[in-house]
Amino acid sequence: MTEQLELDDMQGLLVRGYGTLPEAAFLLLRFDDVPAARRGLAGWADSVTSAERAPAGTALNIALTAVGVAALSPDGRLPAGFSQPFADGMVTAYRSRLLGDVDDDDPAGWAWGGPAGDPICALLLVYAERPDLLAGAVDAATRHAAGHGMTVVRRLTTLPLSEQEAFGFRDGLSQPTMDGLPRAEAGAEVVRAGEFVLGYPNEYGLLTERPLLARERDPGGVLPPDAAGSGCADLGRNGSYLVLRQLRQDVAGFWDFVDHAAGGPDGTTPAEARELLAAKLVGRWRSGAPLTLSPDHDDATLAEVNDFGYHHLDPDGLRCPVGAHIRRANPRDSLEPQPGTERSRELNRKHRLIRRGRNYAEDGEQGLHFLCLNASLTRQYEFVQHSWINDPSFHGLVGSVDPVVGPRGAGGTTFTEPARPVRRRHPGLPRFVHVRGGAYFFLPGIRALRYLSSLPDPTLSVR
Amino acid sequence: MVAPIQSGGTSMAGQVPVTVRATVCAGQLDAVRKVLADLRRHGPQDDRMPFAALPDVHFARLFVLEDVTDLDGELIPASLVYMADVDGSVDRHLRRLATRAGTGLDEVFGYCVGWPASATDRQRADWLRGHCLQPAAYYVHRVGRTVAQIQAEDRLRTELATMVDEAGAAGESSAAAVRARIEARVRATPELAWALRPAAGLGLAGRLRDTVHKLVPAAGVLLALPVVVPVLVAGLVAIRAQESTDRPDTDRPDPDHVHEVERYEDFAAQNPFTAVGLLKPGPLRRATMRVALAGLDWACRHRYARDNLAGVRTIHFARWLPLDDGRRVVFASSYDGSQESYMDDFINRLSWGVNLVFSNGLGYPRTRWLVFGGARDETAYKHYLRRHQVPTVVFYSAYQTLSARNVDDNSLIRDGLRHTGTAGDEADEADAAGAADEADAARWLRLL
Repeated sequence: MTEQLELDDMQGLLVRGYGTLPEAAFLLLRFDDVPAARRGLAGWADSVTSAERAPAGTALNIALTAVGVAALSPDGRLPAGFSQPFADGMVTAYRSRLLGDVDDDDPAGWAWGGPAGDPICALLLVYAERPDLLAGAVDAATRHAAGHGMTVVRRLTTLPLSEQEAFGFRDGLSQPTMDGLPRAEAGAEVVRAGEFVLGYPNEYGLLTERPLLARERDPGGVLPPDAAGSGCADLGRNGSYLVLRQLRQDVAGFWDFVDHAAGGPDGTTPAEARELLAAKLVGRWRSGAPLTLSPDHDDATLAEVNDFGYHHLDPDGLRCPVGAHIRRANPRDSLEPQPGTERSRELNRKHRLIRRGRNYAEDGEQGLHFLCLNASLTRQYEFVQHSWINDPSFHGLVGSVDPVVGPRGAGGTTFTEPARPVRRRHPGLPRFVHVRGGAYFFLPGIRALRYLSSLPDPTLSVR
Repeated sequence: MVAPIQSGGTSMAGQVPVTVRATVCAGQLDAVRKVLADLRRHGPQDDRMPFAALPDVHFARLFVLEDVTDLDGELIPASLVYMADVDGSVDRHLRRLATRAGTGLDEVFGYCVGWPASATDRQRADWLRGHCLQPAAYYVHRVGRTVAQIQAEDRLRTELATMVDEAGAAGESSAAAVRARIEARVRATPELAWALRPAAGLGLAGRLRDTVHKLVPAAGVLLALPVVVPVLVAGLVAIRAQESTDRPDTDRPDPDHVHEVERYEDFAAQNPFTAVGLLKPGPLRRATMRVALAGLDWACRHRYARDNLAGVRTIHFARWLPLDDGRRVVFASSYDGSQESYMDDFINRLSWGVNLVFSNGLGYPRTRWLVFGGARDETAYKHYLRRHQVPTVVFYSAYQTLSARNVDDNSLIRDGLRHTGTAGDEADEADAAGAADEADAARWLRLL
């Protein structure tokens, strides 16, 4: 069965990463004057880029935090049915434990999104074909915000779109293909639309929880009806949850570690040993070629091959270590109790993310504005982060979190390169990636955005 | 059903569930809450509940069951519950706890009805014993593995892993050679000599008891099949009729309640799960619950006593405890990972088993024929669990960093030190044996 997607009501980011628009900036907004902000958002709602066709020139997408949605609501409260992590925000003590945002990465020290920082209500994602177009669009958006009771509290800049992330590896290769969209390639991993877009069946064949409103709260009939037939208006339909995290990458630290750890007894590090160890940490060579398919040397022709599994080719991680970054972030067919089977892949499909991150370099630091989309923050983003990336006991490992992006306790973490007859252990890996900011957003459907920006003020509402 | 655990002189190595439940005196609930919060702050060194000084405790918890009105409008008063998974016997544990904590226990249980004032250690232990409850079903990840064994085997793994590092640096050419080298090192190290002996396990008496426990009910059920089958079928049909009219509770959990539960989660490799709920009305549901739990208990002990509960490998201990004359049931477990991954495991791998037991609970997502549906409704099921969860204010783990998989692997590592030597008369046999030994050694080394 192929899903009929309402592309004209979905924001474009859900179906494309705007590869033709290499320039981007992300603006974090605060609402100072809610009625004015509503009018401002209504203006943007008319020009927001839908999923229907690839944009030319520039693109604009808009997401809201729970604080933002609540501010726009007539009663000042977040409508019921939004997921709990979204409602609570990314920086509660519990969430910080879950996500590993502790010690040096405690939100108290974040550049934005932390408990002491400016409240964030909305996120404006601006994309453009050329730097001058981006500058124009950002200027226009900033003026529009200022003219409508909104303040840009932070502008996150990005580097021109690149296939490489800051450590030098090709990134973003393994993306799930949403059911209902044209298949990217044969063998692509197709995932039910409801895993990413609210209001459609997910991998359980069910509709994920979403905010449903009594019909009288939408007298104008702006919102689509609940697909489950409850008679409610569906504020969630064609929307998604957007996770944004600014991840600083310690590039020098990463390669220093690799140089040191791959070094021979004479203190020198052959280039091949260095490249191999770095690839073992990531699970791919620089070109993106997976170690599972090309264990001994980089092979750029394999970079985009994505229909591989781990269990049959490499159950023990002799090619791609069990603890390698990509094997944790997406274990493919290695989940128990029946690794190597369709059943295992089926479990894995319940924890997939659409990634839309962009690199950045500013204020002397570089890294990734990690951005992903999912329908369930708990079952998808938080699960991947907690139970795969951050789990020291992942797949029977001991005291080993993700060697590239995972958080670290006091003594660092251990990375194990399986080998015969004896594995090689690298204890004391320092932290290479630091969280500098982050927040959970709701990327509404376009009708939902119109609805939210047309709500009456509390003072005008009938009590 | 056969009560799996009797008090008194059970095997030294068996694991038993301790459950003490005491009614809180009227008006003293806040005082009890304050004590629990205080115990939590002080950790397992606190004199009042000195878990760290009790070598038999795997996991322990203290929590409050709020007062609730049952389906007939009768008030069930609030109570304080202490649970632990211990080696040996309930009696021995309670005596040890009373001796260690002494008057400290007065502060913990002193707000409960009937707690003896200015008592002796013995009297306190007796009081606790008198307030013990027996779960209807109990799961132990590996029956017979003690706290001492788990901790010793983890230290062994650390030592052996360092030896493997050295063997790697020395450039050993085969897995068998590495293992032989390590085995020799262990043999030459008196402090590690224990590792070359098999773990004590249940012992002969324990295994014998286990076999009786396994065969007697099974034989009984088999003999009674002509009666059992029609009764079960009739029961199932009657349940099916009720299922369509039972009313699932679709409410979202109160965010404040969720936050309160979350406050106590994700501090160690393991998390506590504690939940309580009323049963659906009528004798049929109570009977179904009893039968399901009896079957589950038997299966836990004889089918799932080695490292997994029907394929789920992340649970260390779990218990199902009927309360208040069967009007309520408490489920409590110690599991690896997050709440979310735990619930997913049950939905994806074990929904039939979860349904069989929990669908007798009031408000559970709609099931069909007792085992279908139910937990497969992800959102409804997750909401149901969160709504019924009890904040586990005090939780203790004797091995905070070890997942159940880690504990299992550590035992395999120890067992692998005692591989049988290989020798053949003919050259071919020797070659084959050598290859088998190499493969075996390689498998073993993968754990290190």
